[in-house]
Amino acid sequence: MVRNIVVLGGNSHPALVDSVCNALSLPPCNRILTKFSSGESRCEIQDSVRGKDVYIIQTGFGGNGSRLNDHFMDLCIMISACKTGSARRVTAVLPLFPYSRQPDLPYNKAGAPLFKAGSESGKKDYTFDSVPATPAPGIPKTAGLTNGTDITSKLLKTSLTNGNGVQSPIKQNGDGYFPANGVNGTTTPSPVTRTGAYTTHDYENLSHIGAFQAKPGYKQWVAQAGTLVANLLNCAGADHVITMDLHDPQVQGFFDVPVDNLYGRPLLKRYIQQHIPNYKDAVIISPDAGGAKRATAIADSMGVDFALIHKERRPTKITDRQNASMMLVGDVRDRICILVDDLLDTGNTITRAAKLCKKEGATKIYALLTHGVFSGDAINRVQASAIDKVVVTNSVPQDKHKALLGPKLDVLDISPIFAEAIRRVHHGESISVLFNHD
Amino acid sequence: MSAEMANEIKLISGRSHPELSDKIAKRLGIEVARTISLNYSNQETSFTVGESVRDEDVFIVQSTATGDVNEGLMELLIMISACRTASARRITAVIPNFPYARQDKKDKSRAPISARLVANMLQTAGANHIVTVDLHASQIQGFFSVPVDNLYAEPSFLRYIRENFNPEDCVIVSPDAGGAKRATSIADHLNTAFALIHKERPRPNVVGRMVLVGNVEDKVAILVDDMADTCGTLVKAAAVLKENGAKSVLALVTHGILSGNAIETLNGSVLTALVVTNTVPLGDKVQRCPKLRVIDISPTVAEAIRRTHNGESVSYLFTHAPV
Repeated sequence: MVRNIVVLGGNSHPALVDSVCNALSLPPCNRILTKFSSGESRCEIQDSVRGKDVYIIQTGFGGNGSRLNDHFMDLCIMISACKTGSARRVTAVLPLFPYSRQPDLPYNKAGAPLFKAGSESGKKDYTFDSVPATPAPGIPKTAGLTNGTDITSKLLKTSLTNGNGVQSPIKQNGDGYFPANGVNGTTTPSPVTRTGAYTTHDYENLSHIGAFQAKPGYKQWVAQAGTLVANLLNCAGADHVITMDLHDPQVQGFFDVPVDNLYGRPLLKRYIQQHIPNYKDAVIISPDAGGAKRATAIADSMGVDFALIHKERRPTKITDRQNASMMLVGDVRDRICILVDDLLDTGNTITRAAKLCKKEGATKIYALLTHGVFSGDAINRVQASAIDKVVVTNSVPQDKHKALLGPKLDVLDISPIFAEAIRRVHHGESISVLFNHD
Repeated sequence: MSAEMANEIKLISGRSHPELSDKIAKRLGIEVARTISLNYSNQETSFTVGESVRDEDVFIVQSTATGDVNEGLMELLIMISACRTASARRITAVIPNFPYARQDKKDKSRAPISARLVANMLQTAGANHIVTVDLHASQIQGFFSVPVDNLYAEPSFLRYIRENFNPEDCVIVSPDAGGAKRATSIADHLNTAFALIHKERPRPNVVGRMVLVGNVEDKVAILVDDMADTCGTLVKAAAVLKENGAKSVLALVTHGILSGNAIETLNGSVLTALVVTNTVPLGDKVQRCPKLRVIDISPTVAEAIRRTHNGESVSYLFTHAPV
């Protein structure tokens, strides 16, 4: 029993709140957190927080009928309510930090910013899984689906067998958003919209996007919301932030308050040691150069070989070799591959990496990721990919993903780590033990 | 001189109310800036700027669509922050319908003062100036440390009443004590009688008992309020007025949020008309509700933008509605 501490949960991940509270053996704080009919969030904290140490758990994940921005606003409102309710300290616990991974430029396959929407039409000869991970105006929702490669047909098959379960999250992304948007909403001429059973990215309002073009001579750019999110949490009154495996560790520097970035690495490592046979002979692979540090840390500590996939951003002529823009640095022939990354969003990077590994002769492919968001058509894509096993943590709710992916997905529980971090932060103990704990 | 030439109005529109932005742009004789907002498949909002805003006077128009308040707000914050990063000279957030305006006080223990949070967030994101219409409580201006121009729909309403009714036949009615000031102001300008309905509100979005103070017999009763959400208050008030002998009852409301079953409630009510401004996107509600009339507020907002940009006084707009 920990005293003088209040754990308050948002609506984004109630299961995690419950298990963290269980581990700390205290009940979660009673609160009302709903919406008024106008769409404004309604928050009432029913237990006293005066002089208490408050921890608010809200993950950066929208799904299962809820929206990410709602959760973020709810978090800010809860922080602010606790502050005005005379809480001694308010700590925002964000297992997955929202807006932590925003692409800097609207890249297309060739690596150039997408000035012209029309220029994409001639590039339809990509395979499905070579759609770049970065969404951008001009890339149609189902880009690359027109050619009937084997992977596409496989995907269509899986989407059929999965039936409604797959459709629903996509529908909720695409339809009914900003319903009052009368002018552009309904008149969408959709050459690419609902032909496939799934979407690559959520672009409501396709007509608008098709027409979008930067002013001549101006290089368009995409707003970076990371700093803003940090500032908004500060402004709401967060005194401390706890998160896990930030995509960019630099995000910590955006805050004026302490940020504890926990690592999912020990969990992933333990999984490798316990569940992968002959892991000493396996190869740990980083699917892009940015994640090399994360992957080498695991590889080094276990004495396992390491390889890296290099993504070429230079404009290259696409020939019949499908993964022309990716290179594997290292040897994987006849070995088990363990792909390690921090985030699975649409699953593009990881499935492409898996495909490359398979082609280079890997026997079995594991993908270990801290955050499994599985947005858009990620489930279908992973299902059809060369990956034999996906391992993620429950930093975002995984029930639905587990139901769809079945035995292909393993979920690791992070609640003990967060519970321990909360306990240590509350008692003023060092949490660095959690960083190098193996 | 050349530096001044560069400083022009850049009108940026959010996704919530593009019709209003287009009307404002048309009125100002400019084009809406080339930007695009979209949601990634993981639901994060992304905003792309397609033209330079460096050293320009940026006005970002974002209302809050009913049901998507948080989406609209987050998009607005990202747009403001993006323009600040892009070295805009000044960023004015034009928010005709200020979100969370009703959560402006700590009315019970540990209730959030969300209006203040929104105010702080807008300033954190980088807004230098706020333009809004008929704030629910004008004290919200005090939550900001940047200038807030609170425009009024009142001049537009006065014109509507004068054009459609004989003021001598009318009684202006406030549906609650809080709106008495707004209603008396209109009654004074028209030189008509005034009445008030006292109501008890046990819970939010629920209406209790109502008592009429004043005389509405054989008159056109005009209910005046700042927002119509579920319309429970308005419809009940209309029924009370009808019971007290009003010839007909209509309502003039600035913000037609019209959430939940508002349209059905209105259609089944004794109200002859509900007149709202287009501060909130109405979508197909006009088609679904024959009683709904819309007054265009864009001339007032556009004029406020022009005057703000040119450094002229906007107080003229508090008493006059541009045609």
